[in-house]
Amino acid sequence: MDAGTWLWAILLLPAPAAGLAALLRSPAAVLRAACAGVLATAAVAWVASARVLSAGALRAGGGWLSLDALSAFHLSVLTLIYALSSLFALVYFGEEIRAGTLRLRAARRFAALWLGSLAAMSLVLVSENLGLMWVGIEATTISTAFLICVHPEARSLEATWKYLLICSVGVAFAFMGTLLLAASTERVPLGGGGTLGWGRLLESAASLDPGTVKAGFLFLLVGYGTKVGLAPLHGWLPDAHSQAPAPVSAIFSGFMLNTALYCILRTLPIAEAATGRVGWASDLLLGFGGLSVVVAAAFIVTQHDLKRLLAYHSVEHLGIIALGAGLGRAGVFAALLHTLNHALCKALGFFCAGRLGQLYGTHDMRQIAGSLRGAPAWGGGLLASFLALIGAAPFAIFLSELLILRAAIERGSVLAALAFLAGAGIVFAGALRHAIAMAWGDLPAGARREAPSPLSAALVLGPLAALLLLGIWVPGPLREALESAADLVEAPR
Amino acid sequence: MTSGADAVLAGVAVTNFWLLGASRLGHSIRVTAAQGILLGFLPLLAAGADGGALSLRVLALVAASVLLKGLLFPRLLFRGIREASIRREIEPYVGFTTSLVLGLVLLAVSLGIGTRLPLPHRPVSTLAVPIALFTMLSGLFLIVSRRKALTQVLGYLVLEDGIYAFGVLAVGEIPLLVEFGVLLDAFVAVFAMGIAIHRIHREFDHIDADRLKVLRG
Amino acid sequence: MDPARLLPLAFALGLAPLLLGVVNRTKAIVAGRRGAPFTQPYRDIGKLLRKGAVYSGTTTWLFRAGPVGGLAATLAAVTLTPLGGAPATVSFPGDLVLFAGLLALARFLTVLAALDTGSAFEGMGASREVQFSALAEPALLVALAALARATGGLSLTDIAGGLGAAAWAESGPSLLLAALALGAVLLAENARIPVDDPNTHLELTMVHEVMVLDHGGPDLALVLYGSALKLWAFGALLVAAALPVRTGSALPDAAAGVGGLFASAVLVGVVESTMARLRLVRVPQFLVGAGALAALAFVLVGK
Repeated sequence: MDAGTWLWAILLLPAPAAGLAALLRSPAAVLRAACAGVLATAAVAWVASARVLSAGALRAGGGWLSLDALSAFHLSVLTLIYALSSLFALVYFGEEIRAGTLRLRAARRFAALWLGSLAAMSLVLVSENLGLMWVGIEATTISTAFLICVHPEARSLEATWKYLLICSVGVAFAFMGTLLLAASTERVPLGGGGTLGWGRLLESAASLDPGTVKAGFLFLLVGYGTKVGLAPLHGWLPDAHSQAPAPVSAIFSGFMLNTALYCILRTLPIAEAATGRVGWASDLLLGFGGLSVVVAAAFIVTQHDLKRLLAYHSVEHLGIIALGAGLGRAGVFAALLHTLNHALCKALGFFCAGRLGQLYGTHDMRQIAGSLRGAPAWGGGLLASFLALIGAAPFAIFLSELLILRAAIERGSVLAALAFLAGAGIVFAGALRHAIAMAWGDLPAGARREAPSPLSAALVLGPLAALLLLGIWVPGPLREALESAADLVEAPR
Repeated sequence: MTSGADAVLAGVAVTNFWLLGASRLGHSIRVTAAQGILLGFLPLLAAGADGGALSLRVLALVAASVLLKGLLFPRLLFRGIREASIRREIEPYVGFTTSLVLGLVLLAVSLGIGTRLPLPHRPVSTLAVPIALFTMLSGLFLIVSRRKALTQVLGYLVLEDGIYAFGVLAVGEIPLLVEFGVLLDAFVAVFAMGIAIHRIHREFDHIDADRLKVLRG
Repeated sequence: MDPARLLPLAFALGLAPLLLGVVNRTKAIVAGRRGAPFTQPYRDIGKLLRKGAVYSGTTTWLFRAGPVGGLAATLAAVTLTPLGGAPATVSFPGDLVLFAGLLALARFLTVLAALDTGSAFEGMGASREVQFSALAEPALLVALAALARATGGLSLTDIAGGLGAAAWAESGPSLLLAALALGAVLLAENARIPVDDPNTHLELTMVHEVMVLDHGGPDLALVLYGSALKLWAFGALLVAAALPVRTGSALPDAAAGVGGLFASAVLVGVVESTMARLRLVRVPQFLVGAGALAALAFVLVGK
């Protein structure tokens, strides 16, 4: 098969699945079709990523599409999380179908938006052009907005509105930044393929106009940063994460935020090269990251809603990733590893939180207790994901956080290290308290019990095993992939 | 000041002030539409000033943006008003007079930044960057200072208008895809917001953004 | 002194009341009435001059000095005002500030006289008048500054002389904005709809008229004549900004200016007939809007 065909397949495969889902007549069948579409796309994406790892970047669409080590890594994490979440959606919505709260129309709408979001996020990752990337982010924003209100009710609509408005403004800012980057190429003869191909921009970065690039990067950082949920631009994030159905929250937190961060990672080397490699752009990213960690920590301590708590964990961890990305080569490597770890862990967390929410009828952590006895799979998963999230050894997040801390200290960024340690410390104490209270104690009266089914056990144990394994040993191919991806963000000097 | 682009930009600045002071929803929608139409013709003037021929691409861009911003959006928004039977006052957090004074401050700020922003491409008009920035800032201000969801959509449109003006006047060449991307973006976003407003209305019987505050902390 | 420079002053002194007549006649015609004859303001003034004045026992000399001083200051302002392209009787660099200052002085005297009566209504009117003019004055000055920047002139006469067709071709949009701002200031300063209603009979809603309620006879005649002159002065500025007829010799320019003035009087009449009065709380917004337009004009000229 021709190299480019793979990329087109990734983008277009969700379409027939969505078409099929629109024809089916029962909600369960619709969900299964969506799940099949996602799994097929994921398989293609993994094969393509493997090819990138072995044979170098893939290109297609006349230079508009490409898949290199950085995007291949992100794409495989994206599709992995998507596949897991689709399987979980069968469990989660299965309950709602049984209870009669998910009708056929809602299921069809969910399937179409779910697959559309997958295609939109894939477009962000496989585009070789800042303009096209931006189009992808825009499409992501619109399609995911309505995933929040699969069940239109007051709270989910409020969250949808906030998300739509704040992120639209953010995306508009990002477009302004893209325009400024385009303006900075005025004196550079870039030839065909559009002036916004980032490959070309990077090649000729030294001759770009530094002032304009700085202005452009600022706009991009603020714009995409809104979508990432970096503090103080995170206003929409806890609402959207807490009101969306659990599989959607898992995607939001597990990867949609990273999609936007990927865009920043793409422009980071351009901005660095154009401003003379003095760390101007990295320091900005570092500042936003550090602030996010501290702000999120403050909210985590006072939070009572389980899903909102997890949402603030996302702010914290995306902050950590941004922090790492601003710390030079070693930091970028650790940040990428952290991306994978956080995505797995957060997906697991939202799966468990979603199911426990259904079983207990609430997301209020003060009313959830004894989950280990009531629903061993989900209760145990939640406890484990909490432990992993707060950075307890031997889970993989401990390892990647340690690597980021080391990068910070080696680089002499004392402030970043301090912000990181303070944030992590507060989170550790604040979240552990909740985790223990929810896991043990007496089961409240209204709560239902659930014996673990094979699928739910697999959904909990799979990510958990991966997290444990990655905490002890990073496999060779993965390390290799991360190394070459990190080289693309921060070339070794 | 010689070119037609300057005249259009002056008109855009006036519409910004107008919107900052406008108290009726329908009126604001019409003024936003007028601003969109004014900006829609910018590519023509920019192409003329650069001495380039009027390509089919420029004409298509003009037609698309005028139809979209001048015709389709106002219709959608008016339909929104009718269906949701929204009260037609604007209900600001920040009073109209204060808004106007702040508008003057915003104008001064954008002049300060806009004339210092180092752009390698000499814009068609020296006013282009300041007025584009002013339009963006006005849009942002309208979003945060008005309490109706529909007015926030208008603010968003104004923000987009500012970016559009910047793109057309201050950036040399942008790929066609991106040019139409902006229009598509505005269209899709407004459409999506329209649907959201419709749903919110069905659920709440009001679309005041300030009452959307159950979710906190 | 060139006798032609007396021309604008002569026109102003002779024709200013006619301007009021034109405004009122326009309003009547739009409303479907025949209206009073154009010369009605002259007759009113003549009638008032023949009457005696009644003064309240609570008033002091301030009350009697008000109309006289007000008219004097307005007259002095009119001598600075060019008529279209025709140069004003007196002009020197920077006289535009004096122009605004003289009008402020006239207002100050009127306000003092109003406060001197001790009446609650007049005090209320005075407070409103001062509030609105505090907002209108910056708009006027910034608009004039924009015109000065466009023409390079520093006196009203130089500015008016420089605002020919060439200036319009050079910086049309900003001149248009400045003219709009001047028009708004004209409506506000002359107590016209939408800011104030000169014909209202309800004291609570009055702004300007309520301040002169206690004047009668010759004093009221002076007030009437003064307000006609003020309308003339603002109208002349507006015409200078908006009507780019500059032949170079004084007589045709002045004739064009007079024509323009009466056209603007008709315009004022039409505005008054078609617009409703703004709520009082909205008036500051109207004036700040005018100021914004003027500021925008000022900014645009520089580019």
